Amino acid sequence: MTVFWGCPAALPVEGRRRIAPAKHKSWAAMSLAIELKSITKRFGTFVANDNVNLAVERGRIHAIIGENGAGKTTLMNILFGLLQPDEGEIWIDGNRMTLPGPAVAISAGVGMVHQHFKLVPSLSVAENVFLGMEVVKNGLIDHAAQIEKTARLSKQFGLRVDPRERVGLLSVGIEQRIEILKVLVRGARTIILDEPTAVLTPQESRELFQTLKGFVAQGMTVIFISHHLEEVMEVSDTVTVLRHGKEVATRPTAGLSKSELVQMMVGRSVGFDRRPRKPGNGEPVLKVRDLWARDDRRLPAVAGVSFDVKAGEIVGIAGVAGNGQTELAEVIAGLRPASHGSIALAGKPVAGLSASKIRATGLAHVPGDRLARGVDRHASISSNILMGRQDQAPWSRRGIISRGYVRQQTEALIKRFDIRAQGPDSVVKRLSGGNIQKVVLAREFSTDARFLLIDQPTRGVDIGATEAIHAEIMRQRAEGRAILLISVQLDELIALADRIFVMFAGRIMGELAGDGVSEEELGFMMAGASRDKAAALVEVG
Amino acid sequence: MEILERLFNVALIVATLRTTAPILLVALGGSFTTKAGIFNIGLEGQMLVGAFFAVIGTIFTGSPWLGVLAGVAAALVLAYVFALLVVTFRANEVVVGLALNILASGMTISLLKAIFGHRGSIFGQGLVGLPVIRLPFARELGPVGQMISGYTPLVYLAFALVPLLILFYRRTRLGLYIRVVGEKPEAAEALGISIARIRYTSSLLCGVLAGLAGAHLSLGYTTMFTENMSSGRGFMAVAILIFSNGDPWRILAGCLLFGFSDALSLRLQTLGISSYLVLAVPYLVALAALFALSYRARPKLIRETLESMSRVLAKPVTGKSL
Amino acid sequence: MSGRLGALSGQALAIVLALALGAVVVLAVGESPTNVLVTLINGAFGSPERIAGTLLQATPILVCGIAACISLRGGLFNIGIEGQLFMGGFAAAWVGFSFSLPPFVHMLAAIASAALAGLLWIAIPAWFRARYNTNEVVSTILTNYVAVLITSYLTINIFKAPGGLSETPPILPSAHLPELFSFSRLNWGLVIGLALAVAVHFFFQRTARGYAISEMGANPRFAEYGGIDIKRQCLFVLLASGAVGGLAGGIEALGVHHRFMEGFAPGFGFDGVIAALLANGSPLGTIATALFFGALRNGSLLLEVDTTASREIITVVQALIILAVSAEITIRRKAGDSTAGERRWKF
Repeated sequence: MTVFWGCPAALPVEGRRRIAPAKHKSWAAMSLAIELKSITKRFGTFVANDNVNLAVERGRIHAIIGENGAGKTTLMNILFGLLQPDEGEIWIDGNRMTLPGPAVAISAGVGMVHQHFKLVPSLSVAENVFLGMEVVKNGLIDHAAQIEKTARLSKQFGLRVDPRERVGLLSVGIEQRIEILKVLVRGARTIILDEPTAVLTPQESRELFQTLKGFVAQGMTVIFISHHLEEVMEVSDTVTVLRHGKEVATRPTAGLSKSELVQMMVGRSVGFDRRPRKPGNGEPVLKVRDLWARDDRRLPAVAGVSFDVKAGEIVGIAGVAGNGQTELAEVIAGLRPASHGSIALAGKPVAGLSASKIRATGLAHVPGDRLARGVDRHASISSNILMGRQDQAPWSRRGIISRGYVRQQTEALIKRFDIRAQGPDSVVKRLSGGNIQKVVLAREFSTDARFLLIDQPTRGVDIGATEAIHAEIMRQRAEGRAILLISVQLDELIALADRIFVMFAGRIMGELAGDGVSEEELGFMMAGASRDKAAALVEVG
Repeated sequence: MEILERLFNVALIVATLRTTAPILLVALGGSFTTKAGIFNIGLEGQMLVGAFFAVIGTIFTGSPWLGVLAGVAAALVLAYVFALLVVTFRANEVVVGLALNILASGMTISLLKAIFGHRGSIFGQGLVGLPVIRLPFARELGPVGQMISGYTPLVYLAFALVPLLILFYRRTRLGLYIRVVGEKPEAAEALGISIARIRYTSSLLCGVLAGLAGAHLSLGYTTMFTENMSSGRGFMAVAILIFSNGDPWRILAGCLLFGFSDALSLRLQTLGISSYLVLAVPYLVALAALFALSYRARPKLIRETLESMSRVLAKPVTGKSL
Repeated sequence: MSGRLGALSGQALAIVLALALGAVVVLAVGESPTNVLVTLINGAFGSPERIAGTLLQATPILVCGIAACISLRGGLFNIGIEGQLFMGGFAAAWVGFSFSLPPFVHMLAAIASAALAGLLWIAIPAWFRARYNTNEVVSTILTNYVAVLITSYLTINIFKAPGGLSETPPILPSAHLPELFSFSRLNWGLVIGLALAVAVHFFFQRTARGYAISEMGANPRFAEYGGIDIKRQCLFVLLASGAVGGLAGGIEALGVHHRFMEGFAPGFGFDGVIAALLANGSPLGTIATALFFGALRNGSLLLEVDTTASREIITVVQALIILAVSAEITIRRKAGDSTAGERRWKF
């Protein structure tokens, strides 16, 4: 047999079949594969994990659920050695470990499949699987042996792949299988999967669950992070719920109802109260019909979306990040070409027009990624306020910028939006996240656009600034603007939106309107259930 | 007809192979940095110091082989400074590359004057070129033999390196890691491959080949050194690298194109066309290739849209309800 | 404020380091560094004629540097200024010796044709960069070689003046740029260069288009989001940069040589790029750096006479300065000064 070069943990993969089930029966059934004790992790003043305990039994599928920002990924990165906890202990297979880096975690038998795959498109499946631990014979990489071993492993665990194929040509589902194979070939006994189904089709998800069940049948342990309640219910043995960095509960899945789970996840105590308002009844300002678009990888991201936004109303778009919301916003703003479909703004067709023409037609846009798109960090506040209207009077006359006017406007906006800065000349990168966002809002809300496209207005913004931003959005609504509000934060949408569309995998799963929107219902739809089904589930719960 | 015969014959092929070799060597060197994700505009300067120090080394030791060694060592120093500034200090690649080119040009001329007391070029003075290899069986092969025999060793090396580099990228760990670092650095990082170390290595490997290319220029292709004798070959190599993406076969194809246009243009001179116009041909070919291939690489929106529609239509529309 | 002072002192330190390295190089070629320094200073500033000579050398570097500033501020590299300078110089000379026009008009026509020639010379690389994102660094570098060869061809094969020299017939006096002093060829070109620096500074500081271009250079995604047409501005920036490059050649032909010849103005284009880099893309800063490089160039003429060193030793020093400054920024960034270098050379 060819020897695995630099692959200390590869042999157990083959050996485990005989040994592991026996362990499982005798003492391992009771023992813990992973135990995290009182883990605390802070980033500056933000506490991502607050005294979290997690006990994962060997041979089980353990789900970790929670909203965006609940601290799930941070906790798993600590377990995989990517982050070091500020406090707390890590125990793996009954041994206390310190994990200075992933290499130690891997040699302790922990593997992680990240949400964003790290595969090399031009390499074959087998090359990707063995990357970093190639089989070398006579100084050369032995492709035949790698292919053979990949095929064997893929058969053993039911992960169907063609080891020879180039990864760049494969679907996301197969890419994930390759990531799992990478973990397996390194001899992992505990596999962490971060949001594994977020990118998969239903069929692919089902196959994945079969695979995971196969893993535990062979004595391995699976930890998976998810938003997707139905999946958690279907596949996991135990659930741990995290909320705002704290562990809320750990329960056996059997005997839990979905609505119980949603309640634990969302929590009753938090969330903003719905803001009082009178129902608006303006004419539609934005009409989107059957819109299609692709993401940066040139895969379909928006798939046949249609909706209207009326003057004086806030339409919310809910959904787990990465379901096509960002691409939708970019297409509407003219920053990404539509593959198909129409967009009408204030009665004029704008699909395919340049960003500046769409702005001139009546769009203001608060982009989701404010540092990449929303500001020039190295420039002053006034220079950032000027963007987009440098060609318009009175901001400039005959091509010459009216510096006095820009300065005076900037000063007024700094006051009105309560931007904490020394003055108009302050450089943006010296401001806090909330204040940078206020600079963006100040610029966009001070245009006379009839339509506001607002993407993640309070991401990474502290509570105080969030309150102020919400109040400002409501003021814009009262002024009769049509607002499309995209957010991954449900409480924000419920507090602000008149109607909410839920996006999933590039489609609109349904519409929820008025005061009767419940977070449970939203949660189900974000997880891919249709409107009717979500309503039914809520009633049953 | 007669003109065509005068232009296209065995001698033209021989000339093509001769003119291809120096640019092929330097472009293959650039393949390392290109594959590792570094835009290396400094090839020109590395080649130039390689050519200069190969001549110096030969004159002072009497051996052209030690001269080649000196040329490679000098190019390596430049390549090391490039890597130091670009990888460790994260300075702008274009700025550093250009500055090193200027440095190379000024330094070689200054040293030329300091050592020989004059500028311009050096030849004679004990300068011997690399020996020509006559393949023993070539005589029996007739015109084919004429084509493949009688070059200096670095010409054979240049062409032999093409399949060797393919083997290197496909079958060795270092080659694989260079590709990974260039194509997907986060994948390399996740697997504990040091991006900085790989980039240094590829930059130094590039220096070796650029130095050899320079040495070939002054000891093989000619037996002399002239001010700025690399005359843009390093930049043409960068153009080739941009549209070949560092793949050895495509590099070979691109270099043969330039070698051919170079050889052909030298022939055209014999027809009485101005040497200035003729000398511009390789640069124009490089530009034309650069533009033509970037036009071809434009986003194919319409095709993709059709593909996306058909993909979605082929799949029954289902929500993710389990 | 202290940050800005710190940045300046850091840059000065880098230049000192580069000069020290330069001294080592001087030692390596067998000369005494102090001797070289004294000769350089003497050669650059030793008499009114020499000071005028320094200004004369600084003029094309300044104009080329402004051309580079324009492209750098838009986040682009026009390395083809050398070629644009040759094309502009030839065009101006051609208009200057082929037509006979009233004095001032003739000069304006020649200058305009120089700028136009530079613009046309960069047009194809610029268009491909704007439309298909073709790497402008390589394409503009390659056009340099073609420009030098084509102008040589035109000079020697088509327009050669009678006599042994490879040069065109002289430009008619009606197209000359007037000289400033009787004792030097220093001419109105310097004034044009200084005026241009101020104008370009004003353009970037105060005009809407200048603002749009600066933002495109600083954060293209932000500019695109704000409705700036990236392709159009990109084309504009490169064309403007090329036109100024051509203008530099016109000034050289009309003010200094009064003809076009082989090896017309070697290296001014590259010196301009370096001067602009050292000035961090600021047109006013480029005045200072161009003067510095002009002094080095002019001083090096005496250096070649009085010592055994070659005048190319100063290109070595220039390159070392750029390398040292490029490294200095990152050292300071690592030392925790988050403001250091972030904007520099990203433009």
